[in-house]
Amino acid sequence: MPIRDYYLLSPEISLASIAMAVILLDTVVKRKGLLAIFTLAALALPLAFTISLWGEEGRAFGGLLIVDQFSIFFKFLFLGVTAAVVIASQDSVTNFKRFQGEFYALLLLATSGLMLMSSTGELITIFLALELSTLSAIALVTFFKTDQAVEAGIKYLVLSGISSAMMLYGMALVFGVSGSTRLEEIAQAVGTTRLLDNPALLMGMLLMVAGFGFKISSVPFQMWVPDVYQGAPTSVAAYLSVASKAGGFAVILRVFYVAFAGVSMEWSMLFAVLAVVSMTFGNLIAMFQSNIKRLLAYSTIAHAGYMMVGLAAVAARNPIGEGLGTQGLLFYLTGYAFTNLGAFFVVIAVAQKLKGESIDDFAGLAKRSPLLAGLLALCLISLTGLPPTVGFWAKLYLFSGAVQADLVWLAVAGVLNSAISAYYYLRVVKAMYMSPAASDERLTPSPAISLALLVTTGGVLFFGFAPSYLLDFAVRAARGFPG
Amino acid sequence: MLTAIIFLPIAAAIVLALCARNDKQVKWIALAASLAVLILSLIVWAALDLSNPAPQFVERHSWIPAFSVEYYLGVDGLNAPMLALTGLLGVAAVLISWHQQVRVKEFFFALLALQTGILGVFASLDMMLFFLFWEVELIPMYLLITVWGSGRKEYSAIKFLVYTAASSGLMLAGILVLYFSVGTFDMIALRDTPFTTAVVTSQGVFFLLIAAFAVKLPVWPFHTWLPDAHTDAPTAASVMLAGVMLKMGGYGILRLCVSLFPGVAHDYAWLIATLAVINILFGAVLVFRQKDIKRLIAYSSVSHMGFVLLGVASLNEVGLTGAALQMFTHGTITGLLFMLAGMVYEKAHTRHIPDLGGLAGKMPVLAVAFVIAGLASLGLPAMSGFVAELLVFLGAFGVYREATILAIFGVLLSAGYILWTIQRVFYGPEKPRFAHIGDATKSEILPVAGMIAVIFIVGIYPALVTDTFKAGLAPIVHLLGGGS
Amino acid sequence: MHQFGFIAIFMVLAVLVPVSMLLIPYALTLAGIKPHRPDKVKNDTYECGVRTVGGSWVRFNFRYYYFALSFLIFDVEAVFLFPWAVHARQLHWFGFGAVLVFVAIITVGLAYEWRKKALEWK
Repeated sequence: MPIRDYYLLSPEISLASIAMAVILLDTVVKRKGLLAIFTLAALALPLAFTISLWGEEGRAFGGLLIVDQFSIFFKFLFLGVTAAVVIASQDSVTNFKRFQGEFYALLLLATSGLMLMSSTGELITIFLALELSTLSAIALVTFFKTDQAVEAGIKYLVLSGISSAMMLYGMALVFGVSGSTRLEEIAQAVGTTRLLDNPALLMGMLLMVAGFGFKISSVPFQMWVPDVYQGAPTSVAAYLSVASKAGGFAVILRVFYVAFAGVSMEWSMLFAVLAVVSMTFGNLIAMFQSNIKRLLAYSTIAHAGYMMVGLAAVAARNPIGEGLGTQGLLFYLTGYAFTNLGAFFVVIAVAQKLKGESIDDFAGLAKRSPLLAGLLALCLISLTGLPPTVGFWAKLYLFSGAVQADLVWLAVAGVLNSAISAYYYLRVVKAMYMSPAASDERLTPSPAISLALLVTTGGVLFFGFAPSYLLDFAVRAARGFPG
Repeated sequence: MLTAIIFLPIAAAIVLALCARNDKQVKWIALAASLAVLILSLIVWAALDLSNPAPQFVERHSWIPAFSVEYYLGVDGLNAPMLALTGLLGVAAVLISWHQQVRVKEFFFALLALQTGILGVFASLDMMLFFLFWEVELIPMYLLITVWGSGRKEYSAIKFLVYTAASSGLMLAGILVLYFSVGTFDMIALRDTPFTTAVVTSQGVFFLLIAAFAVKLPVWPFHTWLPDAHTDAPTAASVMLAGVMLKMGGYGILRLCVSLFPGVAHDYAWLIATLAVINILFGAVLVFRQKDIKRLIAYSSVSHMGFVLLGVASLNEVGLTGAALQMFTHGTITGLLFMLAGMVYEKAHTRHIPDLGGLAGKMPVLAVAFVIAGLASLGLPAMSGFVAELLVFLGAFGVYREATILAIFGVLLSAGYILWTIQRVFYGPEKPRFAHIGDATKSEILPVAGMIAVIFIVGIYPALVTDTFKAGLAPIVHLLGGGS
Repeated sequence: MHQFGFIAIFMVLAVLVPVSMLLIPYALTLAGIKPHRPDKVKNDTYECGVRTVGGSWVRFNFRYYYFALSFLIFDVEAVFLFPWAVHARQLHWFGFGAVLVFVAIITVGLAYEWRKKALEWK
C-alpha cells in the first residue's frame, strides 16, 4: 500500500530530488553551462513518471494526495513551462557570477510545490504546497540583487505573507464549521446550506479566495504584480505569470469544485464580479504603460479576469466539470502559457541585446529582426484573442462557457474588454513595424532562446489551427473530478 | 473548390513572403493569385444550379468535435456573387497598388490575407467559422491602414479595430446563445429549426447579431469609424473596405438575422426602415459638407448602405433582391470611385476639393471614368445602380410608403452632390499648379475599364445577377411567408 | 453562549488591571502621598546601575546569521529525531527509512554549505 502511495507521488519526489542533485552538482562542476543541460535532461524523469501515471486514478496518504486526470493535466503543464523557462533563462543565468545552480534548484522546487498544489485534497497540504512554491519564487524574484529586485522581493514576501495569513484564517474558519480539512468531508458538512445563514463559512470562503487571489493575481490582490515583474529576471516573471497562476487556478478549482460544490451559485457570482473588475482594471491601466514588462504585468491581471469567467461559469444545469467553463479554463491556461511565455521570451531576447525594456526599445524591431518582431506580433495577437492563434479559441471557449451558464452579460463584458486590450497590444506591434529603429544593427537571438521561442510560438500557431487536440485533453481533465 | 478559392490568396501571400526576390515578383504573384481567385469564383457562379436552393460545392469536415464546430463551406445564390465581387475587387486592388513603393512585400501580404478573410466570411456556412473569418480580416486591415495609410492613420485604424472587435463580441454572444439552445453552428440547419430559449429571447439574439452587422454596414449612429478609416486607408484598402467589407454587414443581416429570425425581423422592420431613411438622408446631407474627396465618397457609402437596409426592411422578394443587388453594385461603383479618387490623389497630391479643379483637361480619361462612376452612383438608368435602387423602391413602396418617398429624396441629394463634386474637381478653370500632371497610365486604365464594363453589363442585363440572388433568397422569402 | 461570558470578563479585566496600575501612582502623587523627585538615574532606560556604552544600533558580523541559521536547522532536526528515536522499534524499517531520507536532505544542505564555504569564518 505505501509503495503505491509513493508511486503516485513520484513526479513530485523525483522533481525535488533533482533540485537537490542540481545543488550538489553545482558544488562540484566547474562548467556551469552543464547545469542547465542536466536540469533539462533530468526533467525527463518526473515527466516519465507523470506519463506513467496517465489514466491512473487514485488517492494516497489517506486522501492527502489525489491523482486524477485533472492533476495530471496540470503536471504536464508545469513541467512543460519549467522546461521552457529553463531553456530561456540559460543565457541570462550563465552571466551570473554566483548562484547558478541555486537558480535551477529553486525553479524546480517551486515547480514541485505547484505540482503538489494541483493534486492535493486537503487544506493543510494545499497551504504547504503553496508556501513551497511561493517561497522559492520569492528567492527567484530577488536574484539580480539590484535595488529594484530587492524591493520587488520584499513586496512579494510581505504581500504573500499577508495573503497566506488570510488564507490560513479562512481555512481555520472552514475547519471550524465543517470539522475537517479534507475537501470531501468539508463538502459533506457544507452540503447545500445557504451561505448567508452561515457567516463563518462565508467568511472562511472569502478569506480563502483572498489567499488564492494573490496567487492568480486578480484584483484586488494584484498590487505586487507590476513591481515584481519589473524587478524579477524576465524568465522568472514569465514563470510567475504562467505557472504560478495556473497553480492558483488548479487549487481554486479543486477547493471550490469539491468542497464548495453545494454552494456553487453563490461563489459563481463572486467570481463573475471579480472577473469583470480584474479584466477592466488590468486593461485600463495597461494602456498607459511604457515598460513592456509592466504592460505584460497588467495584461496578466486582465487575463486572470478572463480566466475567472471560466470559474464563474459553473452552470447549475450542468454537472460540475462538464460545463464548457471549466474545460475552457483549462484550455485557456495552456494556451496562455504558450502565448505569454512566447511574449516574455521575445522580451528576453531583445533585452539581452539592447539592455532596455521600454516599448521604445522595440521601435523598428521589424527592421532589425523580422523574426522576433513577427513572433512577438503573433503572441500579442493571440493575447488579444484574434485568429488564427490559440488565444482566439481559448477566449471563445471561456466565453461560450459563460453563455452556457446563462451569464451572457459576462461574455459580453469579456469581449468588450478584449477589444480594449487590442489597443495596447497593437501599440507594441505598431512600434515594432512603424517607428524608426534607433540603429540598423541586426539582432540575432541566441540559440537557446530561439529554441524556446520556437516551441512556444509553434504551440500558439499549431493549437490555433488544430485546437481539438488540446481541447480533448482539457475535456478529459475537467471530467476527471471525483464526485 | 471553395477551399482553393479561400486559401489561394493566403498561400500566395506566404509564397511571396518567402520566395519573392524583388518587388516585381511580389506584384506578379499577387496579381496571379487574385486573378485565379476571380476566375475560380466566376466558375463557381457559372456552375451554380439555381433551381436547387440547397448550398452547393459543399465542403464539410468535422473540425472540433468537442464543440461541434465544423469546417463547412458552401455557396448558394446569395453568396456566389459576393465571392465573385471579392475576386473582382481583389484584382482591382492589386492593380491599383502597382506603384506601391513602401514595404511592398508586407503590403501585398496584408492585402492577400485580407482577401482570404473576406472570402472566408462569405463562403462559411458554419457560424463559428464565419465568426473566425470575420475576426481574421481585422488584423490585415488594421495593418493596411496604420502602416500604409495617410493622415490620422493610427487613430483611424484603432477606431476601426475597436468598433469592429467590440461589436463582433456581441455577435459572438448571439452565436453562442443560438448554439446552446439549438446545439449546432450550421446556418442552414439553424434556418430550419425554430429557436426557443428561456434565457435570451429571440429578439435579444436578433439584436446581438444585428449589432455587429450594423457597425460593419454601417448603420447610423455606428458609422463614425467609417469615414475615418476610408479616408486614411491606402487606396487598395479603401477599395476593399468600401467594396466588400461593408457588404459583409449586409450579407450577415440577410444570412443570419433575417433568415434565422423572420418573425423578429417582421416585428422590427419599422425600426430598420427608420434607420435606413436616417442613413440615406443623414449620409447624403453630410456629403455636402465634405472637403476631402475620399471622405466625401465615404459618406456617400453611408447613404447608399441605407438603401440596402431599406430593401431588407421591405422583407419581400423584390426588396431583398434589390438590397442584395445594391450591395453588389455599390461594391463595384464605390470601389471604382475610390480607385479614381486614389489616382487623382496620387497625381495631384491633394484630396482637398477646393484645391482641385479643372483637372478634366489634364486627365480626360480619369475625368470620363469619374463621370461614369458618378452617374452610376446616382442611379442613372442603364447602369447597375439604377436597377438596384429601383428594385429597393419597388419592394419597399408597398410596405413603407413614407420611408420610400423620403429615400427617393436621398437619390435626388446624391445626384446633387455627385454632379457638384465632379464639377468642382474636374471642371472649372485650370489651375497652374496642375500644369504638369498626366493622365491615367495603362495599368491603371485596365481595372477602371473592367469595373465600368461590369457596371454597364449589370445595368443593361440585371437578370444576370438578380436571378442568382433570387434563387439564393428564395428560402428566406419562403420563411417570411412571401412565397414566390 | 455562556462560555463567551467568561471571555468577556477576561477582556474587561485585561483592560482594567493595567489601566489601574498606571492610574494608581498618578493618583497617589496627586494626593500628595507619593513624593515626586525625578533624577537622571531614575529616568534611565534600565535602572540597573550600569551605564550603557555606545549606541544601540551596532552592526553584527554577517557571519553570525549563517551560523544561527545552520544551528537552527540542526536544532530542529534533533527535535524531529527525538520522538522517532523513542519509538524506533514500533516504527520498524519504514520509520527508519523516513528518517534516513530526512537526514539525507539535511546532509545535502550541509554539503552545500561546506562547498560554498559558508562554514568558514573569514
